[in-house]
Amino acid sequence: MEDKKVVLDVKDLKMYFNTTRGWFGKSKKYLKAVDGISFSINKGETYGLVGESGCGKTTVGRTILGLYEATAGEVIYDGVDIAKKNDKELFPYRKKMQMIFQDPMTSLDPIKTVGEIIGAPLTIHKIYSGKEKEEKVKELINLVGLKNDHINRYPHEFSGGQRQRIGIARALAVEPEFIVCDEPISSLDVSIQAQIMNILEEFQEQFGFSYLFISHDLSMIKHISHKVGVMYLGNLVEQATVDELYNNMQHPYTKSLMSAIPIADPISSRNSHRIILEGDVPSPLNPPSGCAFRTRCRYVEDICSKEKPVLKSINENHMVACHIIYN
Amino acid sequence: MDNILEVNNLKTSFITGNGIVRAVRGISLSIGRGESVGVVGESGCGKSVTMLSIMKLLDENAVINADSIVFDGIDLMKKNPKYMRSMQGNKIGMVFQDPLTSLNPLFTIGNQIMEPLKIHKNMTKQEAKDKAIKLLELVGIPSPESRLKQYPHEFSGGMRQRVMIAIAMSCDPSLLIADEPTTALDVTIQAQILELMTGLKDKFNTSIIMITHDLGVISNMCSKVVVMYGGLIVEEGPIDDIFYKTSHPYTEGLLKSIPKVTSNKKEKLVPINGSPPDLLNPPLGCPFADRCDYAMKICKNNLPSLIDVSDNHKSACWMLHTKARALKEGVSLSGR
Repeated sequence: MEDKKVVLDVKDLKMYFNTTRGWFGKSKKYLKAVDGISFSINKGETYGLVGESGCGKTTVGRTILGLYEATAGEVIYDGVDIAKKNDKELFPYRKKMQMIFQDPMTSLDPIKTVGEIIGAPLTIHKIYSGKEKEEKVKELINLVGLKNDHINRYPHEFSGGQRQRIGIARALAVEPEFIVCDEPISSLDVSIQAQIMNILEEFQEQFGFSYLFISHDLSMIKHISHKVGVMYLGNLVEQATVDELYNNMQHPYTKSLMSAIPIADPISSRNSHRIILEGDVPSPLNPPSGCAFRTRCRYVEDICSKEKPVLKSINENHMVACHIIYN
Repeated sequence: MDNILEVNNLKTSFITGNGIVRAVRGISLSIGRGESVGVVGESGCGKSVTMLSIMKLLDENAVINADSIVFDGIDLMKKNPKYMRSMQGNKIGMVFQDPLTSLNPLFTIGNQIMEPLKIHKNMTKQEAKDKAIKLLELVGIPSPESRLKQYPHEFSGGMRQRVMIAIAMSCDPSLLIADEPTTALDVTIQAQILELMTGLKDKFNTSIIMITHDLGVISNMCSKVVVMYGGLIVEEGPIDDIFYKTSHPYTEGLLKSIPKVTSNKKEKLVPINGSPPDLLNPPLGCPFADRCDYAMKICKNNLPSLIDVSDNHKSACWMLHTKARALKEGVSLSGR
């Protein structure tokens, strides 16, 4: 793994949202959506980020792209820290880093035609104009499996899967190197999900894209990722290469998340023992002391409430944040 | 096992500005007592409309036709809306997909659980309250007494779905229809809800119809599966037959398009290309013909009917026809 080029290196990234109420903010309150996360993505590879809703995975994606201003930490893209750059300085990076959104219904402008939507980034970044732009839009639309006569239609005339293809075409327009895919398939039907996953994989092979693939679907993550990080309440609790993680998962949260997936196979689901987690994810406004997972953990010990566990390597491809496993 | 519900040849259409949408085009199904049946299919295949037709919960532009819908020995097609009102939420409970929009934000949880009890069971306020507390305990909501006074926004998604289940179970229904009850929830919460539903089913011998597009949920919960496509049932049978002796190309496509968590090999997903048919203008032949790898000439123009594959296992595919079998020896679905 060492000789591969690192495209994105995130170091101790923090994103706190100010939730102080009142005029003078007597006591400042923060929602710690992302509380110190580090990982790196190699060129041409996919980093899968899993977790339940509200664990901060989308915030990670958005902060990396500079859509939120990071509270602390570094986002090193191609050797340059972009976390502290202003909009103007970030502009050239916007071309290299793109995003595919979760809901294709709300992420496309309903009053613009598909041609205008896909053409917009080309105009903004002054890549093509006029005839050349038209040609490029046609090329993109064919690339994602839509037809030329779709260019003059509006988003509402398309199905969910087709809209997601338009979203992908828009992200590809500026020929990016790195794409954040924020739950790109979770609002789609099963048969359509596979179509979109295959498009993403084909493009990775063809153009060498690196992806940050955000999802709550552990089976899709396994399918597409090279490396996986599991998030819980703003922290990474486990991180490993995909084979290592799925064969040798350590953290109690990862284990219960894994066993909660209903397996589409009647015989193995009859034989499997499921770990049912009690209760809900605690509020990030008022997270538990120490290990955030301790309120739902079966193995909880005294130390868990006192000290926050940090990610430690258990072998070269695998890191876990859990007191029980250290001992 | 006698059947709690028998639907014969149900057809539901919607009259819209653009024409008539034939959402359900003639389906028959039967649910045994204490049985849990999964209904799978893509959005727009008619699975929810089927259930809402049985409950008669559709808008006025819907036209429901059926030879009969027999629930507990009574033909619901012959009954008036008043009778239907007395069944809804009483003998037939329903859990909807999105617990946020299906609970009324202006009333407390207690109010909403007590409502069916007061209407259907003629309970006094105190009786209803006692029962509501028991129900909340049953669905695993801690400190039920104080929770009764709270509003839906004070509950998390999983807790709201538990409340929905408590409401649906309040009048001891013989049939519980769950329309994508876990789609809006996280996997760990989904596991809790499925566990709860299975527990309730075993405890009260309630029949469950589980509508979902998640084959994983089906294989955890159900003993029988109905696969719908384009307003029709394309395959139905016991769960193992559907998964391991798949006999319809659409079911096969569904099974192949999901990645397997259990296997270590990296396999390419096989999507079903194209998109489902437009039910404003349903195709003459098999609705799946346009997307089917095995489509023959007959598939485009003639609608296949359900053919027996084995006991209780039926599939609507021309490949299963005796003549086609002789013709296409050697062509068989790979199954899983």
